[in-house]
Amino acid sequence: MAQTQDKVPASILVGLLVLAAAGLLSGLYAGLARLGLWAGSGHAISPTAHGPLMINGFLGTLIGLERAAALEKKWAFAAPVFMAASTLLMLAGLHVPAGWALILGSVGLTLVMGFLYYLQPNIYHLIMALGAVSLLAGNLLYINAYPVYSLVGWWAAFPMLTIFGERLELNRIMRPPKQARRLFAGLIMGWILALAVMHIDRRVGWSIASVLLIGISGWLIKYDIARRTIKAAAWTRYSAICLLSGYAWLILAGLLGLFIGLPTAGPLYDGILHMIFVGFVFSMIFAHASVIIPSLSGMHIPWHTYFYLPLILLHIFLISRLVGDLLWMPVIRKIGGYGNVAAIMLFLGGILFMLVRQAVNQRNHRKETSA
Amino acid sequence: MNESTIDRREIARKLREVIDPELGVNIVDLGLVYNILYDDGRVIVEFTATTPGCPMRRFLRQQVEEKLASIDEIREYEALLVWEPEWNVDMIEEDVDFFANPPPQL
Repeated sequence: MAQTQDKVPASILVGLLVLAAAGLLSGLYAGLARLGLWAGSGHAISPTAHGPLMINGFLGTLIGLERAAALEKKWAFAAPVFMAASTLLMLAGLHVPAGWALILGSVGLTLVMGFLYYLQPNIYHLIMALGAVSLLAGNLLYINAYPVYSLVGWWAAFPMLTIFGERLELNRIMRPPKQARRLFAGLIMGWILALAVMHIDRRVGWSIASVLLIGISGWLIKYDIARRTIKAAAWTRYSAICLLSGYAWLILAGLLGLFIGLPTAGPLYDGILHMIFVGFVFSMIFAHASVIIPSLSGMHIPWHTYFYLPLILLHIFLISRLVGDLLWMPVIRKIGGYGNVAAIMLFLGGILFMLVRQAVNQRNHRKETSA
Repeated sequence: MNESTIDRREIARKLREVIDPELGVNIVDLGLVYNILYDDGRVIVEFTATTPGCPMRRFLRQQVEEKLASIDEIREYEALLVWEPEWNVDMIEEDVDFFANPPPQL
């Protein structure tokens, strides 16, 4: 008989995971509405909710849940609960309480990340904690009615710093030189400062941020385990391809940002943001799904080469979106945007199918053995 | 609690079947298993994770408990997560081949 230490039932983890998925789906819906789909008809979800839902409703809930599950402290679940509540309140049209839920969720996440740094004061925990602080900064500006273009850098910093910290933590096994680790930390700290500079001089701030982004991506390509794991198989190889392609998108975003800055609206603004949020962040989500889902649900996702299909489509349609942005061809941009949503849905559908098929196979196997 | 070398070897062999999905290495070679305590059919495995924020620790505990449950002689068991001493890369066995093992299928 096991004496388990689990404090939080798996049903709560899965329930919050479903709410994170609700944040994603509603965020994608708002994104499609933003692209002009269902134009002329009333939208169930405001197109302007696209950013908040994707950053807070989806990423905030998912990352908050992942950390809370790791810490196994009940108070840590306040962060994903408030983030998920913000999604529900936003969908109900209750924007003021939704805003407060965003703040409470991001304060909760900052406390969780800060607690991790307190437990182990390492640079990778500090980077992740700064990611949570960035989310809080972005959300404070958001509920104080600052325009999204002025705060979107802080929103972007949340998933980026979380991922950078995680990669640095995992890369310990490769024993990178101490100087290289310091360089990485320095590039990231400089990047955060550049985001602050943007509030004084947007062009200068984003130019510095772009140069540093290229440096960070170059560091990751050189030192991340992905260059080694790409020679492996199944999920390990797939994750490596996702990681390296995500880093490549960051370099491209950095190069484009260096030449044009970060406009406040329009196709180029759309292009740079989606290179980061779709090209980098979703590549990272595809890369980590095989680890995140077992850690929360206890269910391993069987590997299938099918998963390359949504990954390839994600990149192809993002290229299409970017071409549409750069050449001022809205139809091409729309096709790219719709295609990106389809790629994400195909990935989620594939995960769900594999999990259900595995559960059915296991049930049949149990029936056969008990018969 | 007394310790039995023979039983601990059998338990360690089973624990080598627990693979860290992120690294493709079993938890014994990673140096994550700190102690195996045994007494009269009751076993406590003290293990750690690479970081307190490791999302895989719940999954690893499930796997450890599954392996302990598969040993007939064990009547009662506990997978006890500890944080002292703090894990570091020097605890990894020499010449470990990372990502050599695919993650386990449940």
